[in-house]
Amino acid sequence: MRDALRAAWAIAGKDLAIEWRTKTALVSSVAFAVLVLAVLYFARDPTAVGAVDVAPGALWVTFTFAAMIGLNRAFLLERENQAMDGIRLAPVSPQAVFFGKLAANLVFVGTVELVSLPLFILFYDVPIVRGLPALLGITAMATVAFVAVGTLLSSMVVRTRFAELMLPLLLLPFLVPPVVGAVQATARILADRPLSEVQGWLKLLAAFDIVFVTISTFLFEATLEE
Amino acid sequence: MPPTEPVLAAREVTRRFGHRRVLSGVSLELKPGDALLLVGPNGAGKTTLLRVLAGLLRASAGRIERRGRVGMVGHASMLYDALTARENLRFFARLHGERSRGRVDQLLERMGLSARADERVGAFSRGMTQRLAIARALLPDPDILLLDEPLTGLDDASSEQVLAVLGELRARGRALMIASHQLAELMGVVTAIGFLTHGELRAVEPTAGRDVAAITARYREVTRRA
Repeated sequence: MRDALRAAWAIAGKDLAIEWRTKTALVSSVAFAVLVLAVLYFARDPTAVGAVDVAPGALWVTFTFAAMIGLNRAFLLERENQAMDGIRLAPVSPQAVFFGKLAANLVFVGTVELVSLPLFILFYDVPIVRGLPALLGITAMATVAFVAVGTLLSSMVVRTRFAELMLPLLLLPFLVPPVVGAVQATARILADRPLSEVQGWLKLLAAFDIVFVTISTFLFEATLEE
Repeated sequence: MPPTEPVLAAREVTRRFGHRRVLSGVSLELKPGDALLLVGPNGAGKTTLLRVLAGLLRASAGRIERRGRVGMVGHASMLYDALTARENLRFFARLHGERSRGRVDQLLERMGLSARADERVGAFSRGMTQRLAIARALLPDPDILLLDEPLTGLDDASSEQVLAVLGELRARGRALMIASHQLAELMGVVTAIGFLTHGELRAVEPTAGRDVAAITARYREVTRRA
């Protein structure tokens, strides 16, 4: 167990070090997030639609598609020079590799979300102070679910010729349940509804986390084989 | 382990990709100190055989027995261009465990890369990258080293350095298996030659007492018959 954790830590650290050095995915994701938030803000007619009505959808469209840029990159790193073979030659379990990649992707997507959130508050001027801890909790729960499936599918499609096209196509259907849950919960938080109204959605998100992480962990090994 | 016990054995190994049979009933043994040169035309199945023996590909039928640690140098370097030589080795050493971690500086020194250890691999020449790939493969101090075209693209000085390392490994009782077309350069290192055509290992013969011309003539005879 300790060896698996050490290997996962090493893989996550390596991925983040490479991303920090190259900043390719981070810059693209953040630029994309800013662009989407701005476009959706200016597309709204403020006299017809209130910011609070549009904000949850805008937030989750931004998070989801910005994250996809990073998820696409996660295994392209390993395809370059077939570095994944080097990892597979080491006495490391596929589960440790999965958790390493998952951890790095969570940090990456979390960073993009943390950068986007102040911009979202700025653009939409939503009453967020009271609901901020709850919104952060919802974001964390939904992020774990879609990053887990994204990590699995990214590993699966990386050897295909159209990896960058295939990932969104395969991932989007799996994103619907957690993103719908996140949008619904976010809408209630932004409307300053009592927390009891959000609890059902939070339970649903927790269930998605457990199911998606468990299934992805077990299926990951199959994606490494040719 | 008695010195005559094989460290690597393949028994009737077959590998298919879909309906295409790439390896067909390959059987071979490698004992400590053996160095087998695998020759055959392009597409004969040399790379697939090495990948199956390394455990990177599953055999469709047959059995592989490995007694010891396996290292592999493939067509691609299995290294990260964005990391330095030292960071690459440190990363893979962490995956291989405590014992390998102390070998990083020693291997950089042995492969003549100490002076460039803190430069990114993406800026390395083909020769330097190949030497670093060999250093990566040697991190776990493997009992069996599998090499796919280790001299391709190397200049004379780099080739000599790689050949010296391979000779030293064989003298230390490591088992080597090398897929290459560069018979003349490798004659001083190998102890046996295997002829692989159309996925079948036609013969494995000792090289002792034979020169390059005799082996080349034998190779032509075997490929013609196939």
